[in-house]
Amino acid sequence: MELFLNRISDGLSNGATYALIAMALVMIFKATTLINFAQGEFAMFGGFIALVLATEQGIPMWGAVFGSMVITAVCAAGIERTLIRPFDPSDHLPLVIITLGLFLGINALAGIIWRFDPRAFPELFPSGNALTYGTATLSWYTVGTLVTIAVVSGGLTLLLNKTKIGLAFRAVSSNLESSELVGIKVGPTLQFGWAIAAAVGTLGVCVFVASPFRQLEPNVMVTGLIFAVSAAALGGLDSLGGAIVGGLAIGLVQSIAVPYLGVPSELSLLAAVAVLMLVLLFKPSGLFGTPQVERV
Amino acid sequence: MATSSPKFVFIQGTGGYRAYKFLGFAVLALLILIVAFAYNDTGSITLFDNDYKLSVTRVTKSISFMVAILGLQVVAGFTGQLSLGQGFFFGTGAYISAWLVADQNWAWFTSLLVVVPVCFLFGLLFGIPALRIKGLYLALVTLGLAAIFPSLIKLDVLLPYTGGAAGKQVDSDFIPPSWLPLDAIVDALHKIPLVGQYFGEGEGLSSKEEQRVWTFFLMTILAIICFKMVSNLIKSRPGRAIRAVRDNETSAAVNGMSLAFNKVMSFGVASALGGVGGMIYVAELGIASEGDFTQLISILFVVGMVVGGVGTLSGAVVGGLVIAFIPDWASSTQNLPLVPERWLQGPTGGLILGLGLIVVTFVLPGGVISGVRKIRDRIIQVIPQTPELGIPAGGVALQAGSTEGIEASTDGDAMSASTTADDG
Repeated sequence: MELFLNRISDGLSNGATYALIAMALVMIFKATTLINFAQGEFAMFGGFIALVLATEQGIPMWGAVFGSMVITAVCAAGIERTLIRPFDPSDHLPLVIITLGLFLGINALAGIIWRFDPRAFPELFPSGNALTYGTATLSWYTVGTLVTIAVVSGGLTLLLNKTKIGLAFRAVSSNLESSELVGIKVGPTLQFGWAIAAAVGTLGVCVFVASPFRQLEPNVMVTGLIFAVSAAALGGLDSLGGAIVGGLAIGLVQSIAVPYLGVPSELSLLAAVAVLMLVLLFKPSGLFGTPQVERV
Repeated sequence: MATSSPKFVFIQGTGGYRAYKFLGFAVLALLILIVAFAYNDTGSITLFDNDYKLSVTRVTKSISFMVAILGLQVVAGFTGQLSLGQGFFFGTGAYISAWLVADQNWAWFTSLLVVVPVCFLFGLLFGIPALRIKGLYLALVTLGLAAIFPSLIKLDVLLPYTGGAAGKQVDSDFIPPSWLPLDAIVDALHKIPLVGQYFGEGEGLSSKEEQRVWTFFLMTILAIICFKMVSNLIKSRPGRAIRAVRDNETSAAVNGMSLAFNKVMSFGVASALGGVGGMIYVAELGIASEGDFTQLISILFVVGMVVGGVGTLSGAVVGGLVIAFIPDWASSTQNLPLVPERWLQGPTGGLILGLGLIVVTFVLPGGVISGVRKIRDRIIQVIPQTPELGIPAGGVALQAGSTEGIEASTDGDAMSASTTADDG
């Protein structure tokens, strides 16, 4: 029982990170039906910027994280403007190739600047346990990750529902051409989506590596992206709430189902890919997504 | 068409055209000869104190990438199914042949008898989801497939066969047959005035060098066979069918092509070629290690395909060379004026490939090959010979045999038109 509770706690904290990256993917997918394969690498780069701000500039840790979120948001907006907007949004192949190029380029750039040796990341949440039950513990880290996704999802909901740019974003994601006709500037709105996505992703990686058991290195998100993608697909690629549910579910599958079924830990990635494949085969819209209707 | 008229015009089926084709083959043969003998291990170019190695082993490695990218061209370039999972089949082929050769004492080339069918079947299996999953989603699923390969290799069940994280060592010596006068060839080349100095030291080849050259020859022949087979496939009925599927699924289905059959088959062919590429890779390297077959290699194959040219066969050759040599050369660049050293010591190759991918997508959407063709079209023009419609001289029209003749010749017409468009 205690082991089970511990595993739930582990699963939730992992899942919260996947949920944050998945939310970043969903933000971009909602608007453009594009998967940004470089999302994980954007976020990893943001993690390094936060680390540099904190350790070399002496900014308090949370301040550094916010600073890095702003910096990556600005960079992502610039990337959207220069590399993504020139292409026809309905033709996916060149866009996917651009994001793959970004994936390779950003990963290598981080490797050149910061090298591949893992670095400890300062803790963002108090150490120790919030709750103990026998040997089962609920660490402040797990509580912190859950609070983070609650705050992020609350913030995004407010942003999308109560602000003008949020309204414009929802209009563009619902129908690009019509929103252009009613005078919404589609380009800057999509740029806004990219910026928000990058900021959320950066926060996700910072929270992920803030665990005392993890370290930051350029390849930290290479497999993380696969987990995030299957989380996003499970929840429905255009549903922010679905991304949270999907992320937590993938995290729980990874930490509960995999050890209890007696499969080796390497297979947690396989489980995530299996979930991804099954969802896309049998319910491509995911749990909460809008089904796609194709007109011929 | 270019505004200035081409300098040389060849009409298909004439002696001039045959001479042009022959010249092409001769240049190719000469290139193979030069690569095999001139740059045997020691060949290198020195630029700003950096040694750029041009050794045969690297070319052999790039041949393995070429064959894998060729497979990717079939499924992504010609059928339009963007697969990011080619690395999975590349790895499968590599491990199966390594296991057969190391533990079962098979010969390298007979291991293809297992690699090709197994990869083909795996490909069919993974082609089935592609029937329901389209476009981006397919890219996602196949990327996941590529990502799990290293974990599969490390599974306890497979450890005795794969060697786990340590990798699978395998003896990869190809002993050239004694009747092949490699020594005599290199000595003869060495005696050519002016250029002879580039071909060895005039003392023949050491046995290690001989093996390298022999491996290179064998793999080149294997690759040429693969390219010829794919070229024939693309020009024939199934090839036209998969291109129809790529261009417009609905109209292809309306015209009687089975989408399911064509997509699944092209996945199968692509995967089999991926497996052959993997066998070449491990036969050259002598070790299969899981770190070589992460999703990175799949992404690199896509880089190679795009940089070379999507939907071209010669693009696969260019792509293979690019992804084999650029990371190597980038890591051997240790000092370059104006560039801080720090930028040259890390994974500069990845940065160059990533940026190159973006730049090519912007500037040359058809890849390097489309640029080369634009230049070639200014100089050389090949006029395809239009086959005559097959109405027999006797005038016995519209019998079964003669309608077949008409069909065949219209096919041929479409073929030669598409040949100029798609194949190089």
